[in-house]
Amino acid sequence: MNTDADTKYNYYDILEVSSHCPQHEITTAYERAKSTYSVDNPAIYTMFNQEEARELLKMVEEAYLVLGNKILRTLYDEKIGQQKPLSSLTFESLQAESKSLFSETPKKSVQANSEKYKVDADFENEIINKTDWSGEDLKKVREYKKITIEKMSDTTKISSYYIQAIEKIDVKNLPAYVFVRGYVSQISKNLGLDEKKVCDSYMKYFKAALDKK
Amino acid sequence: MVPKIIVVGAGKGGVGKTFVSTNLAITLSKLGHSTLVIDFDLAGANIHTTLGCQISDTTLLSYLSKEQSLSNLVQPTSIPRLSYIQGVWDNWSTVSVTTSDANQFVTDIKKLNYDYVIIDLGPGATAAHLEIFKNADEKILVTSAEPTSIEKTYRFVESYIVSQLQSSGTKEAIERLKIDLKKYRNENKKGHFSFRSYLTDMTGFTFDHFDSLNSNQIRLIMNGTRSHQDQQLGFSIKSVCNKYFDLAINYTGFIDYDNAVWQSVRNKEPFLIKMPFTPLSGQFLSICKNIISSENTANQTRAVV
Repeated sequence: MNTDADTKYNYYDILEVSSHCPQHEITTAYERAKSTYSVDNPAIYTMFNQEEARELLKMVEEAYLVLGNKILRTLYDEKIGQQKPLSSLTFESLQAESKSLFSETPKKSVQANSEKYKVDADFENEIINKTDWSGEDLKKVREYKKITIEKMSDTTKISSYYIQAIEKIDVKNLPAYVFVRGYVSQISKNLGLDEKKVCDSYMKYFKAALDKK
Repeated sequence: MVPKIIVVGAGKGGVGKTFVSTNLAITLSKLGHSTLVIDFDLAGANIHTTLGCQISDTTLLSYLSKEQSLSNLVQPTSIPRLSYIQGVWDNWSTVSVTTSDANQFVTDIKKLNYDYVIIDLGPGATAAHLEIFKNADEKILVTSAEPTSIEKTYRFVESYIVSQLQSSGTKEAIERLKIDLKKYRNENKKGHFSFRSYLTDMTGFTFDHFDSLNSNQIRLIMNGTRSHQDQQLGFSIKSVCNKYFDLAINYTGFIDYDNAVWQSVRNKEPFLIKMPFTPLSGQFLSICKNIISSENTANQTRAVV
């Protein structure tokens, strides 16, 4: 089967479903097609060689990337209705279009926040080279980046109570080790720090505080 | 009334054509339709065994040698509303059936007074088989889950398409198609032979081939399935026919493997009569309902048990 632009097949034809079928039928058709064109299926041998089967499988996957996604499918249907040539309709072009239609607002607001703080080159350098991270250091970076505890809690979904406790390494008010590590990793990610470095170093402080208790 | 002709064929022998056609006939007769089974296996007829009837001298042979009319050959069975015509089991007298004979055969069947006539073909796609297959109202292909059987099913479908083309295209066009197909096979080119793009490029085929083939779809029955994967294979075959031949087929149903089947064959008893409560009877019922879906069967479903 040819994948050239002029002989490109309609995604519905590839999955062998009607263009009006409900979403769950597309998933069923995709699963069937996927098992059909996997290499060891006895129904394809003598008909398609391995390379053709792989090619078909690739088409099936692309068709499902579009039709399996409700937004992309709607966009695709719209374009087909406008008689756009099939070759212009690929997963990438549809995805780009959907992104421009439904821009991801939360990302923008985070960027807006981070633009506010004044960049201090010395401090930035210090952050990059720092290997030893305590709760106090996390607080310093957070305040430098002008992120309030409330905002941090909002983006990371960690309660502000825990964020305060983490910055103070207040063992009594913190949950079990694994959870704390998860929280610290979230916070450092949000602050744009190296998660692994921060976690490893911070958890040493945490352990020490735990032993003291 | 003109009977509805259901033809049961297969690319390979031993996949259960006779088993499927007998039990479809039994199910149809239990649903209250008068049904006739014709054994068209010219070499190894054995419907009489699966129906549990005594072998007799009235066979299809006397029709094919133009000594008797079809209606004189019909024999009753122990099952109400079900009759059968015995196939040729006497190998001493060879019969050859031409396509025009096959055509006449179908015309004669249409004169009989039954609701359904089931024709059990022999294995393979001979010219006579294809002619009957083409003219039937319902075309059923039986396959098992073995790769050999699936492969021969594709060959049957291919011969069916080619024979259909033969009746519609010009002679030169057919010859060219044959040569091109052969070339394709031998050279083992990259990319497969696409009938759709080939036929749109070709001149000499008079009608829109695939529309007419797709309006009366081939039905596929998977026989002797042992697992969920086997049952799903039907969908794979359907998809391959669609992508390779651009031919839509209808996956009508599957019949599970059941040890009770060979036991009943050994005892020369009709399977669905001897063991009406196996899951298989439900599977045959759903296939029958699929075939006669245009009629209302909702209140007749209990007739099977």
